[in-house]
Amino acid sequence: MTDVMLTVYHLYPDLLNLYGDRGNIIAFRRRCEWRGIAVQVREINLGERIDFTDADFLFLGGGSDREQDLMAEDLSSRRANLRDAFEDGMVTLAICGGYQLLGRYYRSLSGRVIPGLDLLDFYTQAGTTRLIGNVAVGISVPGRIVHVSGFENHSGQTFLGEIKPFGRVLSGHGNNGADGTEGARYKNVFCSYMHGPLLPKNPALTDYFIRLALERRGRDGFLAPLDDGFEDAANQVMLSRLKIL
Amino acid sequence: MPFRLCAAVWAGKTVAALSRMLGHRGSSLPGHVALRIYPGTLRALARRAKKGVILVTGTNGKTTTNNMIAQMLSDAGHSVIINREGANMLPGIATAFVRSAGVNPAYSFDYAVLEVDEASFPRVVEQVNPDVVVVTNFFRDQLDRYGELDQTISFIRDALRKLPKTRLVLNGDDPLVAQLGRIGPETTYFGLAPHGRVLDTSGASREARFCPLCGTDLHYSFYHYSQLGLYECTGCGFERPEPAVQGWEAVSSVDETTCRVVLDGRDFRLNLPTQGFYNLYNALAALCAGSGLRLEPETMLKSLYHYKPEIGRLQHFRHRGRPLYLNLVKNPAGFNESLAILLAARGSKDLYIAINDNAADGRDISWLWDVDVELLAEPDLEINRFLCSGERAAEMAVRLKYAGVSARKIGVEPRVQDAVGEMVRGGGDAAYLLATYTALWPTEKALSTMSDGK
Ligand SMILES: [Zn+2]
Repeated sequence: MTDVMLTVYHLYPDLLNLYGDRGNIIAFRRRCEWRGIAVQVREINLGERIDFTDADFLFLGGGSDREQDLMAEDLSSRRANLRDAFEDGMVTLAICGGYQLLGRYYRSLSGRVIPGLDLLDFYTQAGTTRLIGNVAVGISVPGRIVHVSGFENHSGQTFLGEIKPFGRVLSGHGNNGADGTEGARYKNVFCSYMHGPLLPKNPALTDYFIRLALERRGRDGFLAPLDDGFEDAANQVMLSRLKIL
Repeated sequence: MPFRLCAAVWAGKTVAALSRMLGHRGSSLPGHVALRIYPGTLRALARRAKKGVILVTGTNGKTTTNNMIAQMLSDAGHSVIINREGANMLPGIATAFVRSAGVNPAYSFDYAVLEVDEASFPRVVEQVNPDVVVVTNFFRDQLDRYGELDQTISFIRDALRKLPKTRLVLNGDDPLVAQLGRIGPETTYFGLAPHGRVLDTSGASREARFCPLCGTDLHYSFYHYSQLGLYECTGCGFERPEPAVQGWEAVSSVDETTCRVVLDGRDFRLNLPTQGFYNLYNALAALCAGSGLRLEPETMLKSLYHYKPEIGRLQHFRHRGRPLYLNLVKNPAGFNESLAILLAARGSKDLYIAINDNAADGRDISWLWDVDVELLAEPDLEINRFLCSGERAAEMAVRLKYAGVSARKIGVEPRVQDAVGEMVRGGGDAAYLLATYTALWPTEKALSTMSDGK
């Protein structure tokens, strides 16, 4: 597969280089490289001229309010291009603030409605308590359900409309602490409240994303198996603690 | 002394004695009990400081700076009370006073020198009226998320505004700290002049990007690390203030760190018996606070020269002539500083990293991915073995693997005792042991029993 080159777009790393989210970029890149798949990571900054449809994997993290506003402003000027890439099957991982931004709106505690990019059918409502802690989620990948562990910390509660969740909560709060859903999925766009190193710790998920990206380029999605001893152990430590399995 | 205060102090003292008998390390329970019996305990006891109350807050270096100031004052002949490491919230601070309070109401002391948790700072200063407040730095901590650091700083700012007589001692190199300088009636700054060590700024934290006052881009002519350096705002003109106590020509070697410093208009050399530039900041903060209290430069420098790092602050052990260093890691800035020390050291090394995720460590260990672990993948670094320990050992192994460290060199041994044993028997010229807060004590205990001592 030497002639394949996957392109990763890391959005606004100098604005959102927080809370371990870059672990997701590192994991995607490494697991490609270990199999001889070339990867180029492009760091995209505010206002930079790009075409989302060139990207194979897009990562969108979260930040503080001010950073979130800057990100929202920049992305709303690129909305049509982003929608085209979503429809075209670009693999995307959006976390926390990045997740909320893709929805219809965010309603603050005072009732003020902040419009989202309105690309996916869900909305977020500010909650009075933060939903914090370790979380385990069952996520279906072709042929099976993988048990994924992560950490969530959000005050917004997200409610899905005509859209599938990313997974089912096995332990923790998920989207809103009430309906058992975690994150959202539309085509190859995956949204989650599990921040930090989601992909490094959950290799089955990472490989699924790589496979989707390869297949979108008309490539064979077969991936040579890797030794995931450390990854599985790290995941297992948390799943055991949360009494999953 | 009023009856309720008396009862509170006695109950606190009894609890302290009991927990000592049960072998518990200094806890905050005595203060907690005393405050329950009489909420005014802390306020009443803090008034007994004859010469002053000094509070030290900030993210990193609180304990070291606080101990340095207390040591200087006590070497200068003053009586001092101090809170135990980590007991830096309201009950812990009350504990410090309860432990040292006598039954005789006339009992008093010269100074109270207290490290205060940043988030507890506003509540503490409602009870304790400080004469001096020292702020070391503000870094994103593992407990901090989305803007909580900004919020903590704004609470501290609001609290300082209510203390019109308090003198401030601030880190001028940290824009997040220096912005507080506009509040106090009298502010002195400490800082480090540019020196040979220039760090790559590509990993510079987001705190270094924008002016804390107006949000415009900050321009740096020199970086120490994180957001510390010589900065200037292109928008509002906010810039690094001229430090009253400044370290010049800083040099760090394996067992000491030195710089030149001007005190009382005279030139001195500051020698610290530890590695690491961040310790210079702590010493400069202590010198700046001490100068304000009219301590003799010679006394202060002598005190610093004999300063013994507390547990887990680059604590030095030896086994069969081989050095082992133990250092606390609790956030990316501090972890990166530990790595800088390791990178600068010659010879082959074994590296131990113990990660726990108890409340005191931070439940969320995502911050490990913000550490520049990639530096450890350099092939000529001569690290023989990477041993991960603690409850989240496996996750640290994942971090190392994805940083590019060869999986063959990485080991996972969650049991601290066994992992330390392997380090003590290790083959490298030196061993470096890094541990998060709750992994630090068992690591230090195992090291003390297994090595030949300090
Ligand atoms: Zn400014």
